[in-house]
Amino acid sequence: MFQRLYAMINRYVILVIGSGPRMMSIFYWPSIQIILWGFFSDFLLNNNLANSINSLSFLLSAIILWDVLFRAQLGLSMTFFEELWSRNLGHLLITPIKISEIILSLVITSFLRTSLGLIPAIFVANYYFELQFFQLGFYLAFFLLNLVFVGWSIGFVVSGLVLRYGQAFEELAWAFIFVLLPFSCVYYPLEALPDIFQIFALLLPPAHIFEGMRQIIDNGQVSVNQLMMSFLLNIFYFMLAVFMFKKMMNSCRKKGNLFNLGE
Amino acid sequence: MTLNITSLSKKYNDFFAIDHVSLNISKPGIYGLLGTNGAGKTTLMGMILGLILPTKGMIKIFGEEFSHKRFDILKKLNYESPYLDLPKKLTVKQNLIFYSRMYGVKDFLEKIHDLSNNLKINDLLDRQFGSLSAGQKTRVGICKSLVNDPKILLLDEPTASLDPDTSIFIRNFLKKYQKLNKTIILIASHNMHEVEKICSRIIILNKGKIILEGIPKVILENKKLNNLEQLFLKLSN
Repeated sequence: MFQRLYAMINRYVILVIGSGPRMMSIFYWPSIQIILWGFFSDFLLNNNLANSINSLSFLLSAIILWDVLFRAQLGLSMTFFEELWSRNLGHLLITPIKISEIILSLVITSFLRTSLGLIPAIFVANYYFELQFFQLGFYLAFFLLNLVFVGWSIGFVVSGLVLRYGQAFEELAWAFIFVLLPFSCVYYPLEALPDIFQIFALLLPPAHIFEGMRQIIDNGQVSVNQLMMSFLLNIFYFMLAVFMFKKMMNSCRKKGNLFNLGE
Repeated sequence: MTLNITSLSKKYNDFFAIDHVSLNISKPGIYGLLGTNGAGKTTLMGMILGLILPTKGMIKIFGEEFSHKRFDILKKLNYESPYLDLPKKLTVKQNLIFYSRMYGVKDFLEKIHDLSNNLKINDLLDRQFGSLSAGQKTRVGICKSLVNDPKILLLDEPTASLDPDTSIFIRNFLKKYQKLNKTIILIASHNMHEVEKICSRIIILNKGKIILEGIPKVILENKKLNNLEQLFLKLSN
């Protein structure tokens, strides 16, 4: 098992390192996001257009955390799409690899891609824009991990749909996550949403995470119940997404279209 | 029995791609799987490899039911097809190392060295797979399909769209390899000339059913025909 996992991850790493555009995309977007919003925050602060440094910290922290989710999802989907684009999935599936090993290798690769792109960007933002990101302390790791899991869940759903319904669904890799954005309460508090949407938002882990982040930045308080809720919801959605991915894979076997994927 | 297929069917809506096929292959040799386009050759191979789930029937390989011992069986199987590819941005060597690891091959560098010598692809090892010609890709694909010393090797049209030189080279290589390793090689092909040259037995599929099976020479004698091409045309009309 470990040899197969190592082979999978090593191959994804070689593919990324060997390609300038792929390497650039890992660093490019997180850096651009942070630089752009960092300067904007500075402008607001310097011209007394923001209420407090806290509100700017909200904004920048939210942007970074949302990007973690987005990068984790793209990292997983894009890594899986590589198999389809190279018409290699059939070859891969006739080796003794188990679906659980494919899932694990995708998750690890996505984690590496996300960390590589975001960790430097977070340090840059913290240093240059006096972001109080690390004041989130231990909870920062918890938030990051939870958001990464949300990203993976979406990544598996999107990958499963592309596998089953074809590459026309690839657009979903970019679009799907933005359906969740209004209900994730990234840039505004939960109470800014209409009541009915609040109920829906509370069924999604990101709303709990971003609410928690705002609480800490605002008053240093943490609602453990809220964190637990996001954690439990995450486990539920992740298991559901993995189940769906496996189902789609099985459905492809039934339909017999693993031979012509990528064409 | 090494490969034992019992009453295997694959149905898509109302259409049988494979219709109650039974097949036993126990002796090493090169077997030709023949049939027109859509006869069910690739579907049958796909089911043997687990890429396609049968609607009905059973596949036993090395005495074990495939659906129960899939991962153990797949260690001893391999496949090459022009319908599948390898990552184009990786070099040939990187691809071969990757698949060696996937099959848990020990001393894989030595193995790759030997196989690439025999298949005359040593000078291609450091080139990106995507930059190779069709003939070179086929040789690399066959090399990939042999990294795990498969007991059963499935080849889907291994010489399709190749020039005569490369086709002859591949045929001779496969004959030699089979003799040396006592492998069961199942070749799906449209190329009757090729099948006549290398296959010890043939299985002819038509509309998902096996319509004829046996030793090519004996079949031709019985049907009073000169070559497999005539037989193929007669059966497909």
